[in-house]
Amino acid sequence: MLSLRATVPAMVLFAMAGNVLAQQGAGVLAPPGEVTVSDVPNDGGDQLLVCFEPSPDDERVNSYTVYRRMQGEGDDAWRPVRVLFPGQGTSFVDGRDPDYSVRPGQIYEYRVTALSESGEATGPVYVAEEAADGEWFNTNKVRILIGCAVFLGLIFFFFSKAQSGDKLYLRPIPGIEAIDEAIGRATEMGKPILYIPGLSTISDVATIASLTILGRVAKKVAEYQTPIMVPNRNPIVYTVAEESVKQAYLEAGRPDSYDPDSVFFLTQSQFAFVAGVNGIMAREKPATNFYLGMFWAESLILAETGSLSGAIQIAGTDAVTQLPFFITTCDYTLIGEELYAASAYLGREPKQLGAIKGQDYFKALVMLIIFGTLVLGILDVLANTDLVAWLDHLVTSPAAG
Amino acid sequence: MAENNSIWDKLFNMDRRWIFLLMAVVVIIPFFFKMGLPINTTDEVEGIYNYVDSLEQNDAVMIGFDYQPGTMAENQPMSEAVMRHCFARKVPVFITAVLPLGNGLAEEAIANLTDPDEPGTFQRVRYREWHSYDYGQDSLPSRVTHDQLVNLWERDHQLREDAMGWVFEGVDYVILGYAPLFHIVLLGMGRSIVSQYPADLYGNPTENMPMVKRNKSAREVDLGVTVAGSSAVLWWLTYAHESYGMPIAFGVTAVMATDYLVYLQSGQIVGQMGGLRGAAEYEVMLKRDGYSIEEGKAFRGMDVQSIAHILIVILIVVGNVAYFAGGYHRKGRRLRAGR
Amino acid sequence: MRRTIPLLIVMVGGIMMMIQFFIPHQISQAVFGLYTDYVPVIAGFALILGVGSLTRVHYHKVRRRAENWQYSLLVIFFLYLMPVFGIILPASLGGQAEEPSVFHFLYRWVQIPIQSSMFSLLAFYIASAAFRAFRARSAMATVLMLAAVIVMMGQVPIGDYLGKWFPALGLWILRHPNLGGKRAIQLGVGFGILATNLKIIFGVERNWLGGAGR
Repeated sequence: MLSLRATVPAMVLFAMAGNVLAQQGAGVLAPPGEVTVSDVPNDGGDQLLVCFEPSPDDERVNSYTVYRRMQGEGDDAWRPVRVLFPGQGTSFVDGRDPDYSVRPGQIYEYRVTALSESGEATGPVYVAEEAADGEWFNTNKVRILIGCAVFLGLIFFFFSKAQSGDKLYLRPIPGIEAIDEAIGRATEMGKPILYIPGLSTISDVATIASLTILGRVAKKVAEYQTPIMVPNRNPIVYTVAEESVKQAYLEAGRPDSYDPDSVFFLTQSQFAFVAGVNGIMAREKPATNFYLGMFWAESLILAETGSLSGAIQIAGTDAVTQLPFFITTCDYTLIGEELYAASAYLGREPKQLGAIKGQDYFKALVMLIIFGTLVLGILDVLANTDLVAWLDHLVTSPAAG
Repeated sequence: MAENNSIWDKLFNMDRRWIFLLMAVVVIIPFFFKMGLPINTTDEVEGIYNYVDSLEQNDAVMIGFDYQPGTMAENQPMSEAVMRHCFARKVPVFITAVLPLGNGLAEEAIANLTDPDEPGTFQRVRYREWHSYDYGQDSLPSRVTHDQLVNLWERDHQLREDAMGWVFEGVDYVILGYAPLFHIVLLGMGRSIVSQYPADLYGNPTENMPMVKRNKSAREVDLGVTVAGSSAVLWWLTYAHESYGMPIAFGVTAVMATDYLVYLQSGQIVGQMGGLRGAAEYEVMLKRDGYSIEEGKAFRGMDVQSIAHILIVILIVVGNVAYFAGGYHRKGRRLRAGR
Repeated sequence: MRRTIPLLIVMVGGIMMMIQFFIPHQISQAVFGLYTDYVPVIAGFALILGVGSLTRVHYHKVRRRAENWQYSLLVIFFLYLMPVFGIILPASLGGQAEEPSVFHFLYRWVQIPIQSSMFSLLAFYIASAAFRAFRARSAMATVLMLAAVIVMMGQVPIGDYLGKWFPALGLWILRHPNLGGKRAIQLGVGFGILATNLKIIFGVERNWLGGAGR
């Protein structure tokens, strides 16, 4: 829709005449035709879509080379920006080659050379009528923007509702309620607590959720004077976890009880980490194991070893495939989003609860939309209508315009 | 609990170490008796195979060795199978790794595919060897293709008799290797590969390599295959597929496989190999089309897996028979915790 | 002050990246480029902290002669030995340049077998977990058990012997009912991630900074 045709200035006509090389045998190779250049939409203004008409002798062509120069540059400024072989089409996005990047706002000139066994033929020079231009809004993301706006609106609505003192009901989650009980058990038994904040990086939200829970667990642990061990696989997670536990001891009024060796980095290697943690379980026999965060194939090896050592185990992860393993081997498992909600449950701060409510209402909305689209889809099939397409157009029409 | 002495009670509360022992016996037996049970291929794996099969030497594939030695039993046959396919079709392969240990696994895979003592492997020529070679009056084109280089090279060198073909480092493959914060590196490769990897694993400058000259950024790579034992596969999806449109295929462990079927149905990935079975299917297709003389480790491993699955099913049946025969369903009796 | 500045960085950075997502313009790309250039540098420093932590913990154990302190000594020894062979002394065992290095030897013949053994424990644990978990305790548990058996047998060549329909049934379970359930959980997880991110960006959730809230 944005494609504009380039024009042929009179000056280029003699350029093409000189470049067509006649060879013996197969006859003269006809040069490629018109080049059209258009700006690529929704980019940073560094890409141009270049299309050209193939040579009439296309079947004899071994490759096309597309040359480019800035407008007003001399003949020695031509640079080969792209070579296209048969089967690769006659259009490409210019600007992707890091050696020949496209400048925003710059007008370029193009010419295409066809190469065959019998020689080469260069087409005329075309001046692009359009320069690459960066857009201020990506129209492909309208739907995401609408979704985000509704989500943000709901969250902030419930933030204010919670702060104005409205009572918000949250269904009880057994796994979260068991956390206190599990800490108490370790205290009674005089054995340590093992807390694994997952094996992923800090950019994983499950890890962040786990670290927020760690803060609360550590505070309780500090109050009860129970030893805690927090092995880490990621160095950044380790630093945050250490700070989190240290701060919790400070807030519990027992900074002197904090053992700097309680939070430690083990190794970055997945199964070496598992071996290390299993060793800790076998030697120290912790009374309670927490596995909260992101886990992969090692989940069952950890949890089964923990269950063998007779510990109470509470797991929580958003890794769906690992859930069955945790459910089988742990006493309590937080499933998916319950892990994210745990921090709010433990703290009972109004704004935190508001966020959960907002999230739940958004989920209900999405469920309604899915159900509605399903009904429309069935109607489409039964009554031969196009309701789903119409709905889709309604949401994306700003992009179409 | 005096009633705990019947045979059913013993079976129901079987010490798990007996199960471990049974499993050990069962996985060792197939090493002595080759069964070679046939394997049917599925759409998930055919998706990748057919995609790679449509590529040729002007295209390129990027393989991520995004796993560690731990999951190598499942993952290594996948990366070797895809790499063999690429080598046979002369498609250049860029090799990356999310974790430092991936480097060694990549080297190992290349060593296996170019093992001079095995028939049906490839003959490898290191970068320095062919790049600094004297080709007489012919100059080496800077963007030399596989076929062009073979023509020049075979004037003075002969291919091993039982080899499937030549493999030139820097033309047919390059080990870019591990880079920290790989998701950022993936984004950066969308602009330029050389900017992220100025040198390969062995210190050779990548900017002089023909395959890098012909595929300067990851945008020009036609397929990214991430073989992983972790959710690193999603980095490829987010940062390579969604941000600059690289077609992606997954190779994941069986434990993770069902997690990522979603992306196959939504059309975000071209295919997925799940566990040893996925790799075995790929090997079956490689042999069918003459890209290998015989199936590899995964196919042989499927015999072990077959028997192990049968054992698990038998255990489930035994457990349930004991559950009902022992009267556990009536009395509300519970399984003893722990051992 | 110690908490306000990090919170401010998170808020400004978070909102900026949120807006950046919708703007493809070159200025927005430049901001994103700057971010991607700086993050690896920060991560590099964190690794130093990690190695420091590991050394400190085990050094304390050795010095205090705590229980099993000998293992700690080994950890420290190998922690520093591998980089020495990898970077400083990349020599091979036989002294020839073409032979694999000592680092490669340790990697290939120590690290790989050890890690593979750890992963292979999974086979044993899955068998024992399946034995204990798959019991026909209720109608739901029975459905779960039957689905597990069908999928498991469908995944191996033996399943093909029982008839073509058998693996097909297993695949159908994987592709349809399983995926439907998974999508539902993943949708919830997605919203949870969004809500958590928003809470962090707007400073509602601050426990990740250390300590339990204010």
